[in-house]
Amino acid sequence: MGKRLQIKRLLWLVGGLCLAFIGLALRLADLQVRRHVELRALAEVNTVYKIRIQPRRGDILDVRGNLLASSTMVKTIGANPTLLTNRQAEVARAIAPILGMNEADLFRKLQPGTRVNIKGLTVPVVHVVLANKVSLESWTKVRQAMTTLKLSGAEDKKFTPPLRAKAIFADPVEDQVRKYHGNDLAAHVLGFVGRNSDTNSTEFGQIIGVDGIERTFDDKLSGTQGWRVTEIDKKGREVVPMRDQNVPARDGFNVVLTIDSVIQNTLENALASSMKNFSPQNITGIVLRPGTGEILAMASLPDFNPNKVPRDPELRKNRVITDFYEPGSTFKIVPVAGALDDGKVKLASEFNCENGLFRYAGVPLHDHHSYGTLTVEKIITFSSNIGAAKIGLELGENRLYEHISNFGFGMQTGIQLPSESPGLSHPVRKWSKVSIAQIPMGHGIAVTRLQMAMAMAAIANDGWLMRPMLVSRLQDGAGNVVAQYQPQRIRRVIGDAAAAEMVKALKTVVGPSGTAEKAAMTNYTVAGKTGTAQKPGKGGYQDGKFLSSFIGFFPADKPQICISIVLDEPSKGHFGGTVAAPAFHEVATAVASYLQIVPDKNVVEVTSGNIGASPVDVRSVRTVAARTSRTQ
Amino acid sequence: MAKNRKNESVVLRLGPALKVFGLIAVIGGASVGYVWQKGQIEMLGRQIKEREIRSAELRDQNKKLRDNLAMIRTPAMLEQRMKGLNLGMAMPQAKDIWRVPEPLPRPVSVTGRPAIVQQVASR
Repeated sequence: MGKRLQIKRLLWLVGGLCLAFIGLALRLADLQVRRHVELRALAEVNTVYKIRIQPRRGDILDVRGNLLASSTMVKTIGANPTLLTNRQAEVARAIAPILGMNEADLFRKLQPGTRVNIKGLTVPVVHVVLANKVSLESWTKVRQAMTTLKLSGAEDKKFTPPLRAKAIFADPVEDQVRKYHGNDLAAHVLGFVGRNSDTNSTEFGQIIGVDGIERTFDDKLSGTQGWRVTEIDKKGREVVPMRDQNVPARDGFNVVLTIDSVIQNTLENALASSMKNFSPQNITGIVLRPGTGEILAMASLPDFNPNKVPRDPELRKNRVITDFYEPGSTFKIVPVAGALDDGKVKLASEFNCENGLFRYAGVPLHDHHSYGTLTVEKIITFSSNIGAAKIGLELGENRLYEHISNFGFGMQTGIQLPSESPGLSHPVRKWSKVSIAQIPMGHGIAVTRLQMAMAMAAIANDGWLMRPMLVSRLQDGAGNVVAQYQPQRIRRVIGDAAAAEMVKALKTVVGPSGTAEKAAMTNYTVAGKTGTAQKPGKGGYQDGKFLSSFIGFFPADKPQICISIVLDEPSKGHFGGTVAAPAFHEVATAVASYLQIVPDKNVVEVTSGNIGASPVDVRSVRTVAARTSRTQ
Repeated sequence: MAKNRKNESVVLRLGPALKVFGLIAVIGGASVGYVWQKGQIEMLGRQIKEREIRSAELRDQNKKLRDNLAMIRTPAMLEQRMKGLNLGMAMPQAKDIWRVPEPLPRPVSVTGRPAIVQQVASR
């Protein structure tokens, strides 16, 4: 009897267990098979975490490695007010100083609220943006503050841990801010950045280059996004062993410019000084190496601070490449160089300059002074319009136009900057009868300041026209060179003999009888050309409005540096030799010292007799050594 | 005739027991090892994360220092500091700089010996 009862109980137990196992098996099959897809998706929502890793935008450096622009990774800090219960005041007090915010404002932001979702339901707000562009260091401090936050009264075991861990959070996608360390230094060259506003783009809201080098080299500077697919635990911490995919971002390349920030600063200071002295509408300057086309400095005033981009587009305009103007007398170098190269004239060839008034095709052409017969060299020295017109006539329309085109006018120079204008050079078929006489004087043609500087540099460079070069190389974050840009010869515009003759003529311009005595340097021979062009307006040329310029290079026979200065509508004086040449002198003197260019005149011979009576200011030498070492 | 189980030696009965014990030890050891390994992975994961955060913080700090250095080295800042400290520093002009030409190499005779040695020898 007892045994039967035992067996009966055993059977009940076995039956019960079997039913339980069957129940579990059915539940398992339900969860793992029937509802597999649905539950897997739910589980992934809770645990799988996909994050885009932002690359840091590359830096922009000057030729000596000084940082001109760089990016810093920052966070966007948010809060979930529903997790704060009634602790808003305490949290605001703890983190407001770290975020640099007003405690009362932060307290208001942390208040719980509601919103209507897309289904029309009223739901609590769970995401409030507290602060943008917060440094990683500050975010770390916020996290520490939340972890160590002392809450008044008894801590609730249910609400306190999520409050500490999740109530204040950082957006997983990092943002970055661009910083221009020199503020307005080389602003037009560097350009500035903005945000991608294309809502269809995967890079919506990301930083993009809008102007300058930032825009031209945007694809190189931007880098490539990375991503990570991983899992998080209940507390929102990443479970590192569960990382599925982890592709790091590739930071953008660093762009190393040919610009030297010391020379850039020197140029900008000199331009600012001229701006103060002569009150032009605007003033531009370029410093370049004629042999390679490397631009050491390029400035246009008024300028702007790329850290706070102004709304006025006029301030943001890089007039060196965007604006074109009638160059006036600086353009005389083109027909004269062309005629010398073609053998049509020699420096000693004489032209009758008609005592200051020459009628051609019914149009009177004037000189500033009345000249009789002048040699070609003197035509350059005195900047005779009539002489230049007659040299143009000697060349003929087609040949003059060929020379103009060869020198690169009417086409972009190919500088690595956006919005470059090609200028305006009409083909011969569109010329009027008087064009052949006017264009050699620098009228009836429009050029950019850069084109004119490159043309002068071509004469300094034995007749080779170079492509202007603004970027020296691209580097990765470790300093490895990724791409090296080489100087590029575009074409030979004149032979070296003609170039040498031109240099000889241009040297006289800064002589005592020339138009730019103020450009002369004590220890270097300078060659250059002034320009004073009346500005065209409605109904002809405008009285009292001039574009004054000086473009020169030194040492004249072994040119190292070419400098162009252009003032638009100076109000105190208007001759290029009066208003532009002093700025040239100032920049050239400083650049020669800084680059330690070997002087070619007034050189003191070192002998045993005078070495004891050295005029060297020892302090100055030490100064330059110290300054050079600091800027490298 | 079948053997009486009661007469089997103790040694023979210990064999299966050892086998079972060994099996249990292997399974138990593997289980403990598995859990230990999981713990290690978890711990290493946490360490990796901590180091990643630390590395990001150091990179950020390094970046900040680089930016500060860049700002200090800007020409405008250098000029301001020079004026502020009243150091009277300025770029030297060309006239301030002595350029001493490199001495020419000592003339060498056809024999390859320095000329001066040859002169002394010929006296």
